[in-house]
Amino acid sequence: MQSCDLTVKIGNMALQNPVIVSSGTFGFGEEFEDFFDLNQLGAIIPKGISLKPMVGNPPPRIFETEGGLINSIGLQNPGFQEFIKNKLPYYRHLKTPLIINFFGNTQKEYIELARRFDGVRGISGLEMNISCPNIKRGGIVFGTDPRMAYRLAHAVRKATKLTLIVKLSPNVTDIALMAKSVEEGGADAVSLVNTFRAMAINIYSKTPELGNIIGGLSGPAIKPIALRMVWEVSQAVKIPVIGMGGIMNAQDAIEFMLVGASAIQIGTANLINPKTGIEVICGIKKYLIHNKIDRLQQLIGTLG
Amino acid sequence: MPFQIEGTVIKNKRVKSLYFLLGIHCPPITNHIQPGQFIMLKVSGDRSPLLRRPFSVYKNYPVNHPEKEKRGCLFIYYKKVGKGTQKMTTLQEGQKLDLIGPLGKGFTLPPLPSSANIILIGGGVGIVSLYPIAEALKNRKMLVFIGGKTQDDILCFEDFKKFNSKISVATENGSLGFRGTVVDLFLSQRKNFINNRKYYLYSCGPVAMLKALAGNVKFKNFICQASLEARMGCGFGACWGCVVKTNHPRTPYQRVCQEGPVFSFKDLLWE
Repeated sequence: MQSCDLTVKIGNMALQNPVIVSSGTFGFGEEFEDFFDLNQLGAIIPKGISLKPMVGNPPPRIFETEGGLINSIGLQNPGFQEFIKNKLPYYRHLKTPLIINFFGNTQKEYIELARRFDGVRGISGLEMNISCPNIKRGGIVFGTDPRMAYRLAHAVRKATKLTLIVKLSPNVTDIALMAKSVEEGGADAVSLVNTFRAMAINIYSKTPELGNIIGGLSGPAIKPIALRMVWEVSQAVKIPVIGMGGIMNAQDAIEFMLVGASAIQIGTANLINPKTGIEVICGIKKYLIHNKIDRLQQLIGTLG
Repeated sequence: MPFQIEGTVIKNKRVKSLYFLLGIHCPPITNHIQPGQFIMLKVSGDRSPLLRRPFSVYKNYPVNHPEKEKRGCLFIYYKKVGKGTQKMTTLQEGQKLDLIGPLGKGFTLPPLPSSANIILIGGGVGIVSLYPIAEALKNRKMLVFIGGKTQDDILCFEDFKKFNSKISVATENGSLGFRGTVVDLFLSQRKNFINNRKYYLYSCGPVAMLKALAGNVKFKNFICQASLEARMGCGFGACWGCVVKTNHPRTPYQRVCQEGPVFSFKDLLWE
């Protein structure tokens, strides 16, 4: 096969290709090793990590809708210490960059975590989650108030030398404003979108389908809205934009790149076809060769 | 170690009322699957339904199986209940199917040699998951309890006949066998189990049934396991969508697809 340059730079990270697997949909990575060689991915983002372990939300935690999936996992995770001890060593055998998704309940916790991860060998970057719809405190509060988001990004920026990506919530009136705020605060990149707050109801039992009542909608159903948001943000900021929201195949990924995403994340699709990431990389390559584009960079943001 | 492979439909037919039998040729999975493990099936090529669906395996024929024509094939039972299973009924012989398996942790069979008694209790399509236990324990004496809403929901009755088994049937409307739930039926015989012998009880069915069973069977001489159903996102441990509450001290919510689908009664909190 002809070669083309798929590399992309996000902050200090040089990725061999723009395909990243999204936090919360890729477990801790090892769940996928039977399906394909994880070294082929652009980067891996494991499940989000908090300072202390979190037990997560009561079941049922997921519900399928038309072309979509509502989840209310509630950021269940083993916490910083356990992650470093039992999950991180796995990634030392991989050459794929590891990006840590993390979140806190308070600004202090965010800073503390960023500082702790800063000194850990084998971590290439941080994705700060200010957008999970499934926890009551923290997260979303920072994700919906531009001033708080700026302050948080600014404070965390000072706590780490690692590449800092801020993951944005789509549950805002003006997502471009949120992106500009964290850019000003010192973020190296933004990733968007996280899930849309959503609900599902059982009319026979007259109860919510989710134990947490409210969850976050992902999957192909959200793609058109995500695309519009990535387009708006790409025009508003100078830092790289990582696009996501219902990407199922290479065509979807290319659409996000045309509207300005330097890299993309695969989320829900990982659960359905664990090899989606690899198939998207192949598809992008084919598209570039077919269209005689040598470097992926030449494609980004070229929407006519 | 799960495989993601393209299987071929070798059979898809209605067995009775809303219940269908689907046979798939998928040799790597048949060679590795253990009783109680399951597969995730991409029911349709399009996005409706979007997610795969989990199915426990009913009959399995590894490539070295004596029945030559079935080698490398497995069979699942499904009940036509929603959009996904409706689509499954249209699958044709020779059609390709994307599947992942074997998945999950299966049943723990009694160590051999053992004098332990075997009890199987299945509700509705749940009985299908228990059939591989009977296959694995071929010559052992077994007590089999099969329950359903009506006689149309009583499955696998003939299958268990070929084993050294005593089969009892319960229907909620009394159309066949004992009138009541399969748990009522089992408990009506409880005095037979109050002794010094050891019992391995295997169960599968609706949550209400398993809960009733676990609430009533607290005999010291029983080792009880249940195979659970849950809505699953991926089936291979990545999304943490299918959890059930257990008494695990640090991680109360355990994954049905990974730490299960088979759990010990004593580990579940049945909330």
